[in-house]
Amino acid sequence: MAYSEVQIEELKGYCKKVGALTELGIDLLYLEALRLPAGCTPEVCDALLCPVAKDGYSSRLYFSQQINGRFARNWNGTVRIGEKNWYAFSWKVELSAPTLAQILLAHLNGFAKEK
Amino acid sequence: MSADRYSRQSFLGPDAEELIARYTVAVPGLGGGGSHIVQQFAHIGFQNYVLYDGDAVEESNLNRLIGAKQADAMAETPKLHLAKMMIYDLQPHAKIRGFACNWQEHPEPMRECQIVIGCVDSYKGREELEIACRRYLMHYIDIGMDVHGTDRPVIGGQIIQSSPGGLCMRCMGFLTDEKLAQEAARYGKAGARPQVVWPNGVLASTAVGMAVDLVTGWTRKCRSHAYLVYDGNEGTVSESITLRNLKTPCRHFSTADVGDPILVEL
Amino acid sequence: MKLLIKLTGALHAEMLHDLTRKHPFAAERVGFVTARIGTLADEGRLILLTGYHSIPDSEYVNDPSVGARIGSDAITWAMQAAYHGRPRREGIFHVHIHGHRGETGMSGVDSREIPPMIPGFQGVGRYAAHGIIILSLNHGSTWVWLPGQQEPVQADSMAVIGAPVQVFNHGRKK
Repeated sequence: MAYSEVQIEELKGYCKKVGALTELGIDLLYLEALRLPAGCTPEVCDALLCPVAKDGYSSRLYFSQQINGRFARNWNGTVRIGEKNWYAFSWKVELSAPTLAQILLAHLNGFAKEK
Repeated sequence: MSADRYSRQSFLGPDAEELIARYTVAVPGLGGGGSHIVQQFAHIGFQNYVLYDGDAVEESNLNRLIGAKQADAMAETPKLHLAKMMIYDLQPHAKIRGFACNWQEHPEPMRECQIVIGCVDSYKGREELEIACRRYLMHYIDIGMDVHGTDRPVIGGQIIQSSPGGLCMRCMGFLTDEKLAQEAARYGKAGARPQVVWPNGVLASTAVGMAVDLVTGWTRKCRSHAYLVYDGNEGTVSESITLRNLKTPCRHFSTADVGDPILVEL
Repeated sequence: MKLLIKLTGALHAEMLHDLTRKHPFAAERVGFVTARIGTLADEGRLILLTGYHSIPDSEYVNDPSVGARIGSDAITWAMQAAYHGRPRREGIFHVHIHGHRGETGMSGVDSREIPPMIPGFQGVGRYAAHGIIILSLNHGSTWVWLPGQQEPVQADSMAVIGAPVQVFNHGRKK
């Protein structure tokens, strides 16, 4: 796993547990019971963070189910990773040398902003 | 059943009938390509099937969906039911496990198969099938067609064999990050893609031939991979130029990818 | 509960080639295979063989009373492989070949000598499957100790995913 312990520990502040999953050479981070921003239903959800470029996105946050938030989102990322089905909405994140937590928060920000 | 039934395919080998009957094939997608495949498998003598498709017959399918009739479009017959009836009409004792959904909703039965023929319509779908086939050790044969251009339409297609331990669709140059990214960007914007029966027939027949060879070994070619390109305008099927000077082994899958995924707690 | 074994054609060929080689004094050869688990429907299991380890000639013990006896170095390799395989839940299978055609079973010596190894593998790799594979010239039988199980289950079939595909069903005589 290519990510530093410090960054992993920082991620743990947002969920119950952090796990590592590798598929097709990409290291993904499993976030068990990730706490979602206010206004989301459910309030907590398992998630998979892909911090590197994949499928046209510089990073992506997948959820174990589609989330109802304050704003409508284009849930265009129905994928199968690690023999589970995951869902992501279209949200581009452009950051310069971000930490894992910064990437996570930037994606969660997708629930808070109208566009 | 008469001994004559398979006499015309005796060139496949003395044990071919028994071998064909012994193995299990999966066909995710029973549309224009999958319906051809299922029909041919039934004719040849395959007995064990795992099938997936959650769609029903529509009017727009009738130009290419093998076995579908006008009444099926009116009745919205499930494509799975159509496929099962087609098989049972030829093989009354066939064992069919059918799922009216995508394979991703019920992936476990497919893992028991030896051969999976993918008739899906997205690069992402193909990638996911290939990953599953590498995890659970199945031969994966992929078919697909497309029509490009409106003024001068060009029909293209592919038949690909991706086998555990052999070159994958990325190695062979079919799946690329660029294609996947472009497809992701187009999601929800693409309309109905052009589809016609005869290219589907060419692709499906070629795929079935590959599967029969994997089962019987009748050509003695022992292929570890294949990438055939269909030119629907010229009417040719030929090996993709991307296979020239291709290095082995596969750079994308390894034994680390075999088996249930392991989540390591950090 | 369905229990299936799968391996690639290349791995099967590697095993056959190695196990049919002549040994300077042993009548049979022995190897070890690593394996991972796949989940099937209705709590069935798929055992996916991933790699083969040939035991060097020097690690056999000259014992004419049995077909082959491997020494402590060979066992140590297997135990270490079970240990290092823990993160991937990768287990160890003892494999050898009976030189006839058709389905094969354990000989009296096999039943006496091989199963006692398994608890050691299980002690080191608790979450992996371990077991015994006996090949014949055109078949293969497998006994699997699933994680946490003290008794083995014989696999329903072994599928060699090569070109051509081969499937060896338990209970099939040919």
